[in-house]
Amino acid sequence: MADPVTVRTPKRSLGKTILQYKYFYLMVLPILLWYALFSYAPMYGVTLAFKTFNYGKGILGSPWVGLENFQTLLTDPEFRRAFWNTVIISLMKLLIHFPMPIILAIVLYEFSKTKIRRFFQTILTFPHFISWIVLAGIIINILSKDGIYNQIMMLFGGNPSSPLVDEGAFRPVLYITHVWREIGWDSIIYLAALSGINPELFEAAEVDGANRFRRLLNIAWPGLKSTVAVLLILQVGQLLTQGSSFDQIFNMYSSPVYSVADTIDTYIYRTSFTVGGDFGYMTAVGVVKSVISLVLLWAANTFAKKMGEEGLY
Amino acid sequence: MRRKKIWTLAMCITLMASLLAACGGGNNDKAASNGEGSSSTNSSSTDNPYKDPMTISVGYWDADVEIANIEKDKIVQQILEKFNITLKPVNTTWDDYAQKIQMWAASDQLPDIFAIDAVGTQYQRKWVDQGVVKALPDLTPYPNLAEYFEAPDIKGLSVDGKHYTVPRRMFPSVDWSALDRVVLYRWDLAQKAGITKEPETWEEFEAMLDAIVKADPEGKNVTGLTSTTTKMLGGFFWLYGNPVATSDGSGSDFKWIKEDGKYIPAIYSKKTLPALQNMKEMFNKGLIDPDIALVKPSDSYDNFVAGKSAALLSGGGFINYNKEIYEKRWKSAYPDQDITQSVKVLKPLVGPDGERSHAIFKTYWSESYFSNKVDDKKMARIMALYDYVLSPEGKDLLTYGIEGEDYKIEDGKKVMIETRSLIEKYPARLFLKELVAYETSDRYNLDDPTIANEAIRKEAVEYIDWILNNTKVPDYNILLTYISTPTKDKFSVLDHDDLLKMMLSKESVEDSWNSILKDYKAKGLDKMIEEVNEKAKEEGIE
Repeated sequence: MADPVTVRTPKRSLGKTILQYKYFYLMVLPILLWYALFSYAPMYGVTLAFKTFNYGKGILGSPWVGLENFQTLLTDPEFRRAFWNTVIISLMKLLIHFPMPIILAIVLYEFSKTKIRRFFQTILTFPHFISWIVLAGIIINILSKDGIYNQIMMLFGGNPSSPLVDEGAFRPVLYITHVWREIGWDSIIYLAALSGINPELFEAAEVDGANRFRRLLNIAWPGLKSTVAVLLILQVGQLLTQGSSFDQIFNMYSSPVYSVADTIDTYIYRTSFTVGGDFGYMTAVGVVKSVISLVLLWAANTFAKKMGEEGLY
Repeated sequence: MRRKKIWTLAMCITLMASLLAACGGGNNDKAASNGEGSSSTNSSSTDNPYKDPMTISVGYWDADVEIANIEKDKIVQQILEKFNITLKPVNTTWDDYAQKIQMWAASDQLPDIFAIDAVGTQYQRKWVDQGVVKALPDLTPYPNLAEYFEAPDIKGLSVDGKHYTVPRRMFPSVDWSALDRVVLYRWDLAQKAGITKEPETWEEFEAMLDAIVKADPEGKNVTGLTSTTTKMLGGFFWLYGNPVATSDGSGSDFKWIKEDGKYIPAIYSKKTLPALQNMKEMFNKGLIDPDIALVKPSDSYDNFVAGKSAALLSGGGFINYNKEIYEKRWKSAYPDQDITQSVKVLKPLVGPDGERSHAIFKTYWSESYFSNKVDDKKMARIMALYDYVLSPEGKDLLTYGIEGEDYKIEDGKKVMIETRSLIEKYPARLFLKELVAYETSDRYNLDDPTIANEAIRKEAVEYIDWILNNTKVPDYNILLTYISTPTKDKFSVLDHDDLLKMMLSKESVEDSWNSILKDYKAKGLDKMIEEVNEKAKEEGIE
């Protein structure tokens, strides 16, 4: 039996490869440097979670306190409250918001006239470019005593109320306003994925008698699935950061709704700069948040792989 | 091909350069604040103590604008020349000053002088303990400054016999704190609603608000009492029987009273519940703006002037009333209407204990701190400048301008000659004065032009005279507020947040107060009380 033929590619040293693609490497260098400087270099600050910050000695010189900050954290009722608020708000935002742009993208894709599609896309994407500071001002006005919300409520015989100071209504306001701001922007990538599907598949299905729903289920959805999986993993990874949007909550909340709206980010800010808490303790809070994010990212990636998708790594 | 490569290379270099440029910078301030100081220490002078020029960096609200104004201000130029000082601005804004300064402190980039209201906060204690701020030198060579430190609540700020800050004094005594929280009300609307007597008790005030809200005389869906910020709330609602509980919103200035033989923070007194019930009843009756939790200062002024709210709780006394209500809004909205006939300032109401109480704060607001990087020679120069600003000569110059040019003295009184506004003529004058001390009380004077509307000025002077003669500051010991214990140093009381929560809660006052109390206990309230009582005993505070 003859030996199987193996094709050997000549091994080249890393140096030679870099030299060959030197311009690509040069172009990627600023990005790598950016990450090194702003994402990796500051990571030494994580050590502060195991220290008590001393202004005179700085991060490196501050005395170690072991796990003291984490012990305090476990007994701090405000941290516990902020932690659960973060989890609840983030998960609910993911549940409510994540499918919305997919549905919107499919609906927009169904519009045969490009002009109508573009019109709606522009209108729905616009709020994404307005900062939460401005949007919060608008929302506060809408929901105020004399705002549109209460005028409509009174028109139907209801009593005026202020959802922004109501523990039961504040979170729904967060979810709705989040969907309103992001739905258009987030649907762009799905629209791009839909546009990438060969139109001949749709035409062939139509000829074969497939109705609109069938075409959606058997052609559009399989084409979208991998994009949905990647975006789901990314969103889960950023769940605790973006999900508990600091800007959104900080600009709209007040003490009557702290019990349902104070998240880890707003808690860190309030404690560090209003009350003046120890930076070491606050870093410990941040570390806990990062560790949870890491676990969530890993779980989502594993889940996506098990579902037959590629995953991120 | 070669050209393409050169282009690619050039693009990469440009990208790299911009990245590095963005990362750079930020050291200029440090160089200026340190380099100048160290160079000045090398030269010596015996004849003229101010022979060596000195650059001093100043972290102050809108410092870049204020210090740029020095170019147009003869008086400030003259003072700075006298001390051979150049001021270098390090900007902070009202929105970010606390955060910026804490970050500078953590990253060792503090300006030579910086302004913040930090007394009693955890970070201020750390600055002192960990050598971030410099202690003041012996004040004997600076008599005006030494005298300034004689006021009890300023003297009480010393740590182990050393002072680390120069507080910006506003008033000569805490009686004047009444001006820090004033309630303005629309007397014109009250009259239209059938009210004939200005309110003197809580019942009368509530009846007036009720009448205005129900009658809604201008058909604007008028609300009752609103506020410029939620931090103001305690300054009014605690006055119903528990005035010592008033605090400035910093979380660290809570005052202590003796109850059942031991010291407790006044907010946890037996007098608390009636005050809370009164507030809640007012809210339930619709006498408080339902949107009060999310108020913004400018909106609240607009609504008050537009007749959409019957009363406004605000800070800054008559100076703010003149500036924000009259100058910015009323003057153009009602040019023919005398504001003092339509708007009144509420005199402290007679409470359940029969006393007329007003808010109690410190005699100062915010402080100057000095970076530990400031060497002794620079510190001496800063002290000399502060001493001059506080001296009678400095005060007159910075308040009335130049004698003979801006004012003259007749029968021992200063009479203004200059007809132009001094703010326009000397635009940096108030900055330099207020860098050291506000001395707000000086403006409650019929001769002082700061409150431009003469009718408001007259009311302001009469109001403070009335306060001084008719109200009494209850007993409390400010030294207990300053006392340091391990639990107290980490303990904050944000009473305005608590008040707001209780006001808007669907639970009963008792239940919401008990739940708040439970949270405070979980944060170490009982331990703090124990520690403070022990320490008070040690220090002989009975």
